[in-house]
Amino acid sequence: MPLYRYIERDTFVHRMHPTVKVIALMVMFWSVYWVDNPVALLPLGFLLLFIAVITGSSGNFYALRWLFIILITSTTLMWMATYRPGPAMVHMPKVNIRKASILFGLGKGIKLAELLAASVLFISTTKVEEFTIGLAKLRVPYRVGFAVSLSFRLAPLFVDSALTIVDAQRLRGYEFGEGSIFERMRRYATVAIPVFMGALRKANSMAMALEARGFGRLARPTTYIDYPFRPADMVAFAALFAIGAGYFLIYWTGYGAVVA
Amino acid sequence: MKIEPQSSSEIIGAAGADTEYAVEAVDLSFTYQDGVREALRAVGFKQARGEMIGIMGASGAGKSTLAKCLNRIIPEFEGGSFSGAVSIGGRPLDGLRVCDVAADVGMVFQDFEAQLFSTNVAHEVAFAMEQIGMDRATMNQRMTPALEAVGLRGFEHRDPTSLSGGEKQRLAIASVLALSPRVIVLDEPTTDLDPEGKAEVFALISSLRERGLSLIVIEHETEELRRSDRVILMREGAVISIGPPAEVMTNLELLEQSGVHPPSLNRALAMLGIGGHAESVDEAYSAIVRAYPRLESSGRSIAPEPEIAPAQTSSAAALAAVEDVSFNYTGGPRVLDSVSLAIAPGDFLAIVGQNGSGKTTLAKHIVGLLRPVTGRVLLDGRDRAGLRAAETAREAAYVFQNPDHQIFAATVWDEVAFGPRNFKLAPDEVERRCVEVLDAVALLAERESDPFLLSKGERQRLAVASVLALRPRLLILDEPTTGLDYREQRRMMSLVTELNRSGIAIVVITHTPWLVAEYARRVALIRKGRKLFDGGVREFFADEELLKTASFRPPEVTRLARRFGRLALSPREFADWVKERA
Repeated sequence: MPLYRYIERDTFVHRMHPTVKVIALMVMFWSVYWVDNPVALLPLGFLLLFIAVITGSSGNFYALRWLFIILITSTTLMWMATYRPGPAMVHMPKVNIRKASILFGLGKGIKLAELLAASVLFISTTKVEEFTIGLAKLRVPYRVGFAVSLSFRLAPLFVDSALTIVDAQRLRGYEFGEGSIFERMRRYATVAIPVFMGALRKANSMAMALEARGFGRLARPTTYIDYPFRPADMVAFAALFAIGAGYFLIYWTGYGAVVA
Repeated sequence: MKIEPQSSSEIIGAAGADTEYAVEAVDLSFTYQDGVREALRAVGFKQARGEMIGIMGASGAGKSTLAKCLNRIIPEFEGGSFSGAVSIGGRPLDGLRVCDVAADVGMVFQDFEAQLFSTNVAHEVAFAMEQIGMDRATMNQRMTPALEAVGLRGFEHRDPTSLSGGEKQRLAIASVLALSPRVIVLDEPTTDLDPEGKAEVFALISSLRERGLSLIVIEHETEELRRSDRVILMREGAVISIGPPAEVMTNLELLEQSGVHPPSLNRALAMLGIGGHAESVDEAYSAIVRAYPRLESSGRSIAPEPEIAPAQTSSAAALAAVEDVSFNYTGGPRVLDSVSLAIAPGDFLAIVGQNGSGKTTLAKHIVGLLRPVTGRVLLDGRDRAGLRAAETAREAAYVFQNPDHQIFAATVWDEVAFGPRNFKLAPDEVERRCVEVLDAVALLAERESDPFLLSKGERQRLAVASVLALRPRLLILDEPTTGLDYREQRRMMSLVTELNRSGIAIVVITHTPWLVAEYARRVALIRKGRKLFDGGVREFFADEELLKTASFRPPEVTRLARRFGRLALSPREFADWVKERA
């Protein structure tokens, strides 16, 4: 699946100023950071799902459905096994199930899922060029912002290249699936050399092509598309501020924690 | 043979000395940081405004190095020892950065994937304009004419990754056109394209030329440079000939010695003792009719010729067979649609078709990298469902288009030994096979070399050797000559022919018509996932309607012979026929 899956739509989220979109992503991360309680996290989850539906991004969420499910269930189970505050609800020979550990594990799982959901929503509604501009407006140097956004475009190319290399090795009798997990990891390491060499060549060609198009001439290039800061952006900005402040308040008052 | 470069003063442009030149290059010399010899040796030329210059030469002749000097990639980007001077439109480039020259020299590279950075076509065209600080109104003014010039108007909102190869390259050209540069340099812009894509880009180059743009085109396909005002022939870093195409392209011996494919029409004319330069099939036809009046075409269509048709092989008797195979990736459109194909022992089959037609997908089914959605694949009569690719590596081998997807070892020897060692062969057997195949591909002397330091042609041969060491009975090569110069292409195909003579069945996926005409014995044409043709090479090239449907242009000499109502696949065959008739 391509890493960067922008969905072309004309919704208010798509039309938002790139800087507001970058700030929105940061606010989502900020809000999730302070809270562990799944009940407190749920409103944010519903908000993200609602925005996914109205922006036409639900296809991207559906494509990652298993990743969401695995994130939530595996994290919940892991914390249930390792985090044991308070009295047990169910006593079994080796497993004591506690309400707090379930809630805590579920909260951690939802947190990760919401971080992923915010990221998916961001890439579904933000073009690479907007990402660069959004970062530039936040005083991130243009070259750095461009490199970050370009990496989203390059990653799938390297994944494709790695898969081809795996095929090429298999066709010379190399069995990647043989042996212990460590042996398998060692076997996959043989793929790293051609991928790395290919990446170096590609990066060199791209850098050359970029400079030949004038990249690096100006610290702040002009932009083809005008991104005016509109009243709707101010409203969105205020709403984001309220969400960020609200979640900090939930943390501050202690409602964000599972165990006091 | 020692080559003496011509001095700059000898290489004066077509225009007079007081004319403003688009490009003036004086005594350019360059040695790469890790190079042992000069990549450029005192190269100089002047290009008049509106002139089109074609640059020809084998790989390593210095063509791309020269191009990089024209926009300061050398010496600013590539490290090494540089001397000489370049002026663009009278402005010396000394001390400028690559990005400072972008508005004056538009550079289009071979790798179209590496020069597109944006999420839609309009952003891509705007990218370079943004970088030089153009205001929004000017960008908007320039956007439409640039897209119109390359035939991409209406594509503004398309994702560049969804375009075909030819469209991507045209987009790259649009993005430099938008800057209105003084000169556009195209460095092998069609190497990675299929015939349709190549035709699109060459048509665009012709139209840019008609508009009076100054163009420098580096190209392996000499036939496409015939309409240049002048051509430069390079060898070992030096200019060895410069002049109008009629002058340079008729020195066939010099072209051959320089590793350049002589235009097939000129070759045919020379073989007939007529000589001279033909810019088109029509011109060659007129010249031959003048010299041999009795030959004038009667206007009849090609008579069917006796041909030993390839024997039809049953799936059970075939080395490999696909039976009614259909395939699509999950949720995607159909890539193969009820394709059947049988490959007999000793076969030499060329699979042709446009990019995305399903050729590689078909090959991947044969070697077991993909499994059919419906239908079945047989290997030596056995259904290969349930067999892993690694298990059948010794029966059917596959050489990937990009040799760098195969190569990973520290030495050439280890690269070749990798396959036999995976099958746990005895060390003396591994050694015997390595010596045998490295000798066959003429790389034995490089056994201790680092594979990544070999030339593209050598890496391609190493990739072949690395699968040959498994002694397969069927060898599939995916575009084995892409990116190779004429000499390397010949060398690769001679190697493949030798392997075929030794009993290995060969399947070559290719876009190059003359390779099909001169080497294959059978052709399968795939179009939009369906097999449109499977038969003899002569039968294939005789079917004009089929070739037209598949956008597959036969070699020029084949088209020339057709004007006389005859089918010929090479200049030699055509010349022999003419002499016999005359």
